[in-house]
Amino acid sequence: MSPNRSTVQRLDQPSSYASSKNRRRRRDEEEPEPDLMEKLKDATTLYVGNLSFYTTEEQIHELFSKCGEIKRLVMGLDRFQKTPCGFCFVEYYTHQDALDCMKYIGGTKLDERIIRTDLDEGFAEGRQYGRGKSGGQVRDEYRQEYDPGRGGYGRALADDYGEDVD
Amino acid sequence: MDIRHDDNDRRRRNNNGYRGGGNRKRARDDEDDYHYDPRRRPPQRQRGGDDQPASRRRYEEVPFAKLRRMTLNIAGSAQLPQDEAIELAKVFAENYDDERLRNDYFDIIIQLILEQPVKIPFVAAVIFYGNDAKSEIMADALKRVSSRAQEALNGGLWKEFKLMLRFLACLQARYDGDGVFTLLNQLFDTVVDLQSANENDVVGIELVKIILLTIPYALAYSGSAFESQAKDVLDNTGIVASNMLPMEGLIHSYLPDSEEKPLAYHSVIGLLQQQLTTEAETGWPLVVLPKFDREGLRKQAGEDTMTDAPASHPFPTIEIPSPMNPGSRPLFPESYLSLYGNQDLVTVPDITNIASSLFRDAIVDTIDQLHFNRDAAAKLLIEIDNYWTVGVFAKRSTSFELMREINEEKAHFKPEDVIMDAIFSQIFKLPAPEHKLVFYHSIITSACKIAPTAIAPSLGRAIRAVYKYIDIMDLELVNRFLDWFTHHLSNFEFRWRWTEWLEDLPLSDLHPKKAYILAAIDKEIRLSFAKRIRSTVPEQMHYLIPNRLDEDNSPDFKYDDPSTPYSQEGQALITQLRKKASDEVIQEIINKIHTLAVEQGIADVLVPSTDALVTSICRMGAKSLSHVLSCIERNKDRLLSVANESDAARRQIVASVVEYWKDQPGVAVRIIDILLNYQILAPITVVQWALGDFLGAGEVLAKSWVFEMVSNTMSKVANRNRQIIVARFQKGLPQEQIEMVEATLTKDRESARELFKYIDDQLSGVATGAADTLIERESSGELSAEDGQYVRAWAVRWRTVFQRKAQVEESVVGEQAVDAKIKYLAAQPEPVPIEEDANAAGNGVDVKNSDEIELDI
Repeated sequence: MSPNRSTVQRLDQPSSYASSKNRRRRRDEEEPEPDLMEKLKDATTLYVGNLSFYTTEEQIHELFSKCGEIKRLVMGLDRFQKTPCGFCFVEYYTHQDALDCMKYIGGTKLDERIIRTDLDEGFAEGRQYGRGKSGGQVRDEYRQEYDPGRGGYGRALADDYGEDVD
Repeated sequence: MDIRHDDNDRRRRNNNGYRGGGNRKRARDDEDDYHYDPRRRPPQRQRGGDDQPASRRRYEEVPFAKLRRMTLNIAGSAQLPQDEAIELAKVFAENYDDERLRNDYFDIIIQLILEQPVKIPFVAAVIFYGNDAKSEIMADALKRVSSRAQEALNGGLWKEFKLMLRFLACLQARYDGDGVFTLLNQLFDTVVDLQSANENDVVGIELVKIILLTIPYALAYSGSAFESQAKDVLDNTGIVASNMLPMEGLIHSYLPDSEEKPLAYHSVIGLLQQQLTTEAETGWPLVVLPKFDREGLRKQAGEDTMTDAPASHPFPTIEIPSPMNPGSRPLFPESYLSLYGNQDLVTVPDITNIASSLFRDAIVDTIDQLHFNRDAAAKLLIEIDNYWTVGVFAKRSTSFELMREINEEKAHFKPEDVIMDAIFSQIFKLPAPEHKLVFYHSIITSACKIAPTAIAPSLGRAIRAVYKYIDIMDLELVNRFLDWFTHHLSNFEFRWRWTEWLEDLPLSDLHPKKAYILAAIDKEIRLSFAKRIRSTVPEQMHYLIPNRLDEDNSPDFKYDDPSTPYSQEGQALITQLRKKASDEVIQEIINKIHTLAVEQGIADVLVPSTDALVTSICRMGAKSLSHVLSCIERNKDRLLSVANESDAARRQIVASVVEYWKDQPGVAVRIIDILLNYQILAPITVVQWALGDFLGAGEVLAKSWVFEMVSNTMSKVANRNRQIIVARFQKGLPQEQIEMVEATLTKDRESARELFKYIDDQLSGVATGAADTLIERESSGELSAEDGQYVRAWAVRWRTVFQRKAQVEESVVGEQAVDAKIKYLAAQPEPVPIEEDANAAGNGVDVKNSDEIELDI
């Protein structure tokens, strides 16, 4: 018997961001592309976003170990400064723990910020660095709003505001 | 689209409770929801078109979309549920010839039964009326649901079996003969067999629970015709339900011996038996179960068009397998807990009232089954009053004070209290909750986000109720509560009215309330940082968060202080380690420590050298967990060789880590965990350090992080043993592998027993006051008589927890349990693989939610 569609949406599905890599968005399709589903069907790693630059590994451990033992934690770093830039990868020992993390921790707060979790196909060297022009995450380049937890205004805009990007 | 319920509450249009998005959004969601036949779908809307409501409803809703939408939302809209059910029945009957629609609709019904059990009576009503319109509807529904029930029974999926059976019971009025009661009697016969074969049998207990929870639904929806059948079943179940299993002595929420308890221990089935007996005496009013007019559809259709009597059906055949599959989850007796039952005002049903069990069962199942969408689950909970008889609940978000007024006339229940009570009953479920605790945290967070003003006051009263009796609550539960409390506050700006606990600050640190406050502050800091937490507590508490925690610096390296023994060597060691010096250079410094130690008459010279090594590692790795991890990695061989050479030095590793991180014990706990994973430490090392070297007179038992460290360690041991038995139960294992696995199991099971025995021995010394250090410190006055009593009480509570854990492990990986399982598996006909069977039966609801207790075969 194939599993039936649930009566409400499942929170342990990869997000539209994860599936955007091979995006062919159809509104009647709740599930992402089969390719991606296949890659993520045993995923034990999560991408965690919207962290404050000041959130420590210890804080992340404290929260994320509520879903299971953590095998590895890789902090996202500014490519040039090698300082935390607001994301990380959390790897669990089991796929179930990663799914539970999607369901129970994604969208809740850490360090008083709503964090985002997404199933990830697994950490690879190099992915710990921000891909933005100035070293951090792309989203922090042009951000219009002031976010004290993520270095103030967007960096590309910071010059105009006279903001010290360091 | 996450949640699909109409927010329009038909019963209280003036209620100021939560009301989410309006109908406009819902209309769109419903279209999105449509998946029946993409080919017949209206043309794809452009994204920009979403803002043009006029174009949206141009297409008439196709029957399946309507059936799906209305069924999923049943009882959640402004319409009367009975009218909805009748309408659904008609639409279904009209389109019954469409095979695909028929199949898909039955799938929805089954899925809804499984995922949102509070809606079962309403879904059953659709089929009940469907029977009036077209008797095949009921015949086919019975076929499908009973086959699903059979699968669940074969797979030992008790909850699913219970829910399918409930649906069947709701149709009791339309069966030939005794209907569901025949099956209930057969199930009871099985219980008798199981119980007479094994006095500790738990499957029978589970079956009795299912039987008892089926009766009220069968009676509520069939009138008075079956009261004598119900009475007969109750007469039978009485003995089993009132029987006490040995395990039950270990799952009390509050210490069994305490004098003033908020609630005495009650087993779930014991209570049910009593409540049903009471209900039988008063003619089964079953007030809270929503009733439907059985003639509803016929009246609407008009008597002339419906002259025939409604069709009745034979109750579907369900075979009771022998032997019974006990299922993949270990079963335990359950106790009933209510945090609000002890108030001076009734806000939740009293334990004598069958409503308490009916609410609890349906709500807990709905929560647990909807674990994959906490927001949807929370939304359903907020609207819980929709799914019971109109008027038994007070309006949503009625204040406690107003409840007092309302209840002077007639008792109403407060929906928020009823749902919070249900959630907390799972957080406090012993020996283990159904899901990871963090799921229940997240559902409370969601409920608070959806309806803050309604939920927050209830939550506050729950917190106070727990805190009031925190000294007699089971210690594991206190720690679960602590974990929830601090995690919850971290989601809500750490707002808590600490002022009401200020009066407890002068208490001894060993007093359970003071210990709780200290632990809560520590846990809050772990999720945040010291300065932030200080800003959230009253000034009187600031001294609990010393300024040194604010500094970004790493804790001091004690060897920098010249008065510390071996200070020069310690400094030299860290310098060379930083330089990544050769083994010879390092060894030279270590040898020097050994020489000095010998001069000072130290018995085990490895102890001071290990202290220097581990303290250096902590210092070098102080910046973050990855730093310490890589330092440990670099020095792994050194640490392993020390660990293998001397037990005292091995325990010193723990001591040095804890000493270095004394102000942030959470970090120490994590590092110890890492060291256990590297097998630099053995579980016994940690336990012997915590409850041996570090025990003192027992004062450390009041520290929550010590409990955390020991429990984490024991969980690791338990998990490993459970993994071994999973390996053992694999099908088709070659004989030599069986022998290998069994040898490992025997060895590891023994060492787990030794660990539990060590823990129990150490604790019993303190609990009885026989421990030497305790006697010394009490007689020297170092420990006050009052503190001495606290220490004893802590030891008693620790002991209860670890005795329970030991017992639970025995019941899962003990020889008897394993043998029974092997016998069961051997008796199974080839090759119905249990695992796949269980998965298939999952039908979209995860049956395998790994949590600590899970035995995943």
